[in-house]
Amino acid sequence: MASLKDRTGIIKLNQKVAKDVYKMVLQFEDMPADIKGGQFAHVKLNDKSHILRRPFCICDYDMDAKTITLCYAVVGEGTKVLSSYSVGEKVQVMLPLGNGYTPDKNVKKVVLLGGGMGSAVLPAIPTTNPDLEYYTYLGFANKDKVVLEEEMAKVSKQLTVATDDGSYGKKGFVTNILAEDMAKLKPDVVFCCGPEVMYKALKKALEPFDVPIIVSLEARMGCGIGACLVCNCKVKRAGEEETYVRVCIEGPVMKLSEVVL
Amino acid sequence: MSNLKVNIAGVEFKNPIITASGTFGFGREYDRFYNIEELGGMCTKGLTIRPKLGNPPPRIAESYGGMLNSVGLQNPGVDHFLQKDDLYLAKRDVVVIANVAGSSLEDYIAIAEKINESKSDMVELNISCPNVKEGGMAFGVLPESVERVTSAVKKACPNKPVITKLSPNVACIADNARAAEAGGADAISLINTLSGMAVNYKTRKPILFNNNGGMSGPCVKPVALKMVWDCFNAVKIPIIGLGGITSYTDVLEFMICGARAVQVGTYNFNNPYGARDIARDLAAYVEENDMDINDLVGTLILNK
Repeated sequence: MASLKDRTGIIKLNQKVAKDVYKMVLQFEDMPADIKGGQFAHVKLNDKSHILRRPFCICDYDMDAKTITLCYAVVGEGTKVLSSYSVGEKVQVMLPLGNGYTPDKNVKKVVLLGGGMGSAVLPAIPTTNPDLEYYTYLGFANKDKVVLEEEMAKVSKQLTVATDDGSYGKKGFVTNILAEDMAKLKPDVVFCCGPEVMYKALKKALEPFDVPIIVSLEARMGCGIGACLVCNCKVKRAGEEETYVRVCIEGPVMKLSEVVL
Repeated sequence: MSNLKVNIAGVEFKNPIITASGTFGFGREYDRFYNIEELGGMCTKGLTIRPKLGNPPPRIAESYGGMLNSVGLQNPGVDHFLQKDDLYLAKRDVVVIANVAGSSLEDYIAIAEKINESKSDMVELNISCPNVKEGGMAFGVLPESVERVTSAVKKACPNKPVITKLSPNVACIADNARAAEAGGADAISLINTLSGMAVNYKTRKPILFNNNGGMSGPCVKPVALKMVWDCFNAVKIPIIGLGGITSYTDVLEFMICGARAVQVGTYNFNNPYGARDIARDLAAYVEENDMDINDLVGTLILNK
């Protein structure tokens, strides 16, 4: 039975919010009934020269307003085209896709950790799980790149923003700043989205603390629904051989301990 | 009376739209979007005798009007297919074509023997995967080896019509079409992907981990049309055309050039309903023009 749909989204907002970063709000008449933080949307561009869809994490959503928010950086041709679309234009979107983040039952205290554009995954997590306590750490290269500070301040018990060069907030790598706070924070879980290099640093920085680390992965995608096997990443699960799993189905949210970096 | 049915090697398709190998998994994923029984047929993901991990990522890159892939034949192996997907697909009213690949003649024979006992309707011989070192490409280049592997698979798989899938990365595709026919192929399909490369000027590295990949999508359509026409003039066995199809008018063009059916691949990624929509649009066109789709095959009128 058909359980997935390609939906028509009307652009309600497509605005520059930081250097090369845009926020897009899309409204759907047939808003999906369930969205989970950590899931993604597969967006089709309105010309066939860009034959592949672009996967974006669902930054946030509003069931009453029937909207989702995307927060994307202009990094290539596709995102450049997307940034040129006007309010009122329509785009086709497959959503929600991927597993999303489901906190374990014992989880109360959550650290949300964002590295650069990876921060875009975070706002939807409290929207889906409003009863948890959030301690948020956002790290950016410099002050021009800072995004989503206001949004995360609203839903976090504590928010720390850091920049690598110290041009805004605390100076230094946000993973190290988090590591310093870990002993007093004692979170039940750390949820992180950022570049791969950040995951490597995080693994090392949090080694002394016995805390599960959940990450959201990024991959170049084809179909977005598990058929084409192009977005695979390597995992090593306890008692099993190394293997590839699909970021679009078995992910994008995974245990850092299982991801082969 | 209008007709959309086509017949390839004794197998009837309710319409000439087939989904291409590697773009449609084993049908289950797209079944979540629409009833795949609206399609004429579907080709499975390329199967090998043992499970295959495939290439490290990145495995995909976009190009203007197309894309490159280097999946490297990742698949769960033919036994897994026979125990699970073969049974799932057998219950569906859609022609199932098992796509098989190997790295030696023995591999091809072994997998063909297994598919011979499967519930699939046909077998498509992948001798043209550009993404693994010995992914059959070794068999797809020279006419002699095309004939040898086709003939060996034919013998090992007498219960199923055999479609030999041809590579465009060869000196003369018509020679390879003739070789497939001489080897006993019941049909040929073409074109597989064109060998290509995508480069990141900042890092000076190819985007695909594998360096090279197979190019597909609308940008390859003119190459595919010409090769279908060349093969149509070289062999008597039916041709399944593919390469960049995104609309029913593309299908008409392929059929005019000599294809009896077509495969839709890359377009599935752009529009998850793509293959179904093309089948519906084609049905409407045939109805409106009160025509038999088979009457179009090979009716190209050259300018001189």
